[in-house]
Amino acid sequence: MTGLAATKRWVERGVGLAALVLVALGPAVFNDYWADAILTQTFIVGIAAASLIFLSAYGGMISLAQTAMMGAAGFILGNMVTQSAPGGETKGLTLGWDPTLAIVLALLGTTLLGLVFGAIASRSTGIYFLMITLTYSVIGFYFVGQVTNVSGFSGISGINSYTPGFVGDMVNDRYRLYYIALGVAIVVYVLIRYVVRTPFGLALQGVRDEPVRMSSLGYAVPLHRTLAFGFAAFLASLSGVLLVWWQGQIAPGDIGLQATIDLLIVAVIGGLGRVEGAWLGALAFIVINNYIRDSWLTELLDDVRIGGSFNTIIGLVFLAIVIVSPDGLIGLWDRLWGLATGSRDPDRPAMAPSPAGQQS
Amino acid sequence: MSRLNRRWKLALPALGVLAIAVFAAASTSLAASAREVRVAIMTDCKGAFGFGYEPDIGGAQAAFAQFAGGKPKNPKKPSAGMTGIKVGNTSVRIVGYGCGDDTVPTAIKETRRLMEQLRADVMIGPLSGDEAVSVANYAKTHPTKTFVIGTAGSQDPTLQIAPKNVFRYHGDGAQWNAGTGEIAYKRLGWRNAAIIMDDYSFGWTSAAGLIADFCAIGGKITKRVFPPLNTTDYASYIQQLPPPDQVDGYFWVVGGTGTAASLKAFEQAFGALKPSQHIGNLFFAFLGADKVVAPKVVGSYVGGFGTGPGLKTKQAKAYEAVVAKHYPGLNGGNYADGFVYNYYNAAWAFVRGLQASGGQLGARLQASMPRTNKSGYEVSDGGLVRLDANRQAVQDQYPLQVVKNADGSIGTAVVGYVPNVNQSFGGLFKKTSPAPGRTQPPCVKKKLPWQGKIKVVKNGVITNQTIR
Repeated sequence: MTGLAATKRWVERGVGLAALVLVALGPAVFNDYWADAILTQTFIVGIAAASLIFLSAYGGMISLAQTAMMGAAGFILGNMVTQSAPGGETKGLTLGWDPTLAIVLALLGTTLLGLVFGAIASRSTGIYFLMITLTYSVIGFYFVGQVTNVSGFSGISGINSYTPGFVGDMVNDRYRLYYIALGVAIVVYVLIRYVVRTPFGLALQGVRDEPVRMSSLGYAVPLHRTLAFGFAAFLASLSGVLLVWWQGQIAPGDIGLQATIDLLIVAVIGGLGRVEGAWLGALAFIVINNYIRDSWLTELLDDVRIGGSFNTIIGLVFLAIVIVSPDGLIGLWDRLWGLATGSRDPDRPAMAPSPAGQQS
Repeated sequence: MSRLNRRWKLALPALGVLAIAVFAAASTSLAASAREVRVAIMTDCKGAFGFGYEPDIGGAQAAFAQFAGGKPKNPKKPSAGMTGIKVGNTSVRIVGYGCGDDTVPTAIKETRRLMEQLRADVMIGPLSGDEAVSVANYAKTHPTKTFVIGTAGSQDPTLQIAPKNVFRYHGDGAQWNAGTGEIAYKRLGWRNAAIIMDDYSFGWTSAAGLIADFCAIGGKITKRVFPPLNTTDYASYIQQLPPPDQVDGYFWVVGGTGTAASLKAFEQAFGALKPSQHIGNLFFAFLGADKVVAPKVVGSYVGGFGTGPGLKTKQAKAYEAVVAKHYPGLNGGNYADGFVYNYYNAAWAFVRGLQASGGQLGARLQASMPRTNKSGYEVSDGGLVRLDANRQAVQDQYPLQVVKNADGSIGTAVVGYVPNVNQSFGGLFKKTSPAPGRTQPPCVKKKLPWQGKIKVVKNGVITNQTIR
């Protein structure tokens, strides 16, 4: 069994490395649309999903606030950098501040917001935690929607015209953003892998599995959860900054209920148990989203008058993945490996998702 | 569970992935076909204006059928597609239809899908105000692509943002309400009014037209209320309005499913609606409101949609006949709906532009886009819509009134003809002024170009009498 597990790990590393080489060669291998629209978006959405998976896999907390955190960074940046000169932007505060300062403030502000939100939610578990984080998401949506000074439902546009000198021109050189997003995604992945191996990360996993026991051992359970939430907010804020550079704009719809659910679907399709699943889920979701629309299948369903056929197909794919493999595409790989080698779920990570406080 | 069974289940997602790969390959091979002008039609298929999908596509394609030899695949379902479009020696292909939901994120994703994945050169659309703002910003960074706005009424795309590759052959939401304030002041005797507006780009622009027109002649807006788009319970917003004995009337700019819901909330708070106390923007009479909303407000005046329903001019009848010929019964036979009409004119103008550029795209096409167009409901200047320096239409407008027809049905009648309405409202809106918002524009008395020149329209015929 140990031998098989080691082989599986090597296979995974090989596949991971091959994927990395492939995306590093990006523009040479993929056409412009694939590189700019599909893969760049995959890296960015993957980072947000990774923050959700981090909380779920290592903290036992399924958070619906990650899109709100992502949006917070985007809106802070958008309000600070845009300018209201003629031909400029028409919504938001249009402060016209230095982009570098704005990025720092966006990341710091969002992390701080995450810590405050995390502290409030840290004593809740299970469905209650889910509901509190859903509330954050709804508050975020209505705040930016109704406080028209900071956005309004039209959102803030033209943000990617204002980037720091070290980042360069995002608008005309789209591969710049491709590599920046790829780099940030790798850093986020490595950072999560590092953090979960630190004493804090190990204690967090203890809190996930046995909060009562950890508490009686003297660990501050709410503090660990708060810090984890703050860290996840920081990760989400990175994706928020990249998102507004990629889209050029941000609007309440980016953090609305649909976007919140979409991110959860990305995480579930990828697999809530392992961080790698974030990017796998994002790729699957985005590819399906892009290509199913113009497919003959959608036309067929339209012709037989099944309304919203495109969403129906996404729903069916989601259902199929969840039924076959509750651990998402990553879990499917685990199962396929087990099936091929005759071992049952070898090397299954100890961090199977379970809402905080729910012991199996 | 047997192993065989498990294997079968495992095959499902694998099949899904395979299917996706096939779709990807199929669309790539499509993209690789011979060079031709690629056009995308962007509209909404979901959200508050989702019902505009077929009327919009039908409007645009009716123009392709009439002026570029396009053949509808299915005259009853425009989105089934069109073949054989040819402008001079250039083939035009409709590569896709955008499916927005009146939100910015979807609009920009759909725009990218159409312009980058399906590699469209030209977009006809989008449908709604916020979408047009985001498309205009997208256009700014994609100068080789050309965008002809479908029927979106926000002001920013052609005034504050105004990229050189964005064209709009119809009025914005403010222009569509030109003359309505003057009618309230002169015919209904309003001096003080409150306004309730959807809290987004189109709502603000549409309200801006009513406010500017009403204040210009001497009216006062005493209260502005802004419910968010897609609100379902309007009670708290209605409570913010002054009661009927404190104002002469109310302007309504609440759209989608909100129109009926907001009026109902008003009835619950202040009693039955008195038509002479309420004026709506196009939401009172168009976009499906004719069935639910209009019967409650028979007699009320309504802003327009850049069209003149029932106008008895040769040009208007010719336009209606063209749409009826290619897509009979489109939009329930209501061809005077801006959804059909504005998309029709957008596609027509593009065909003329492509003709003039000899099939060239980018800057050549943009330079060749027509500066005037003989649109159906146009009367001024020999029936020509003119584009201003920002590539925005200067257009005739037609204030309406909700009426009960002889057969008992409820409809609208054109009551006035407002000639040559431009986007600036006599200099009130300009490139350096803030885009319409909750407090923009302020209420100011001003001389508007059309003030005192609005002609009375009776039974679809423009008279020499001015509105008094």
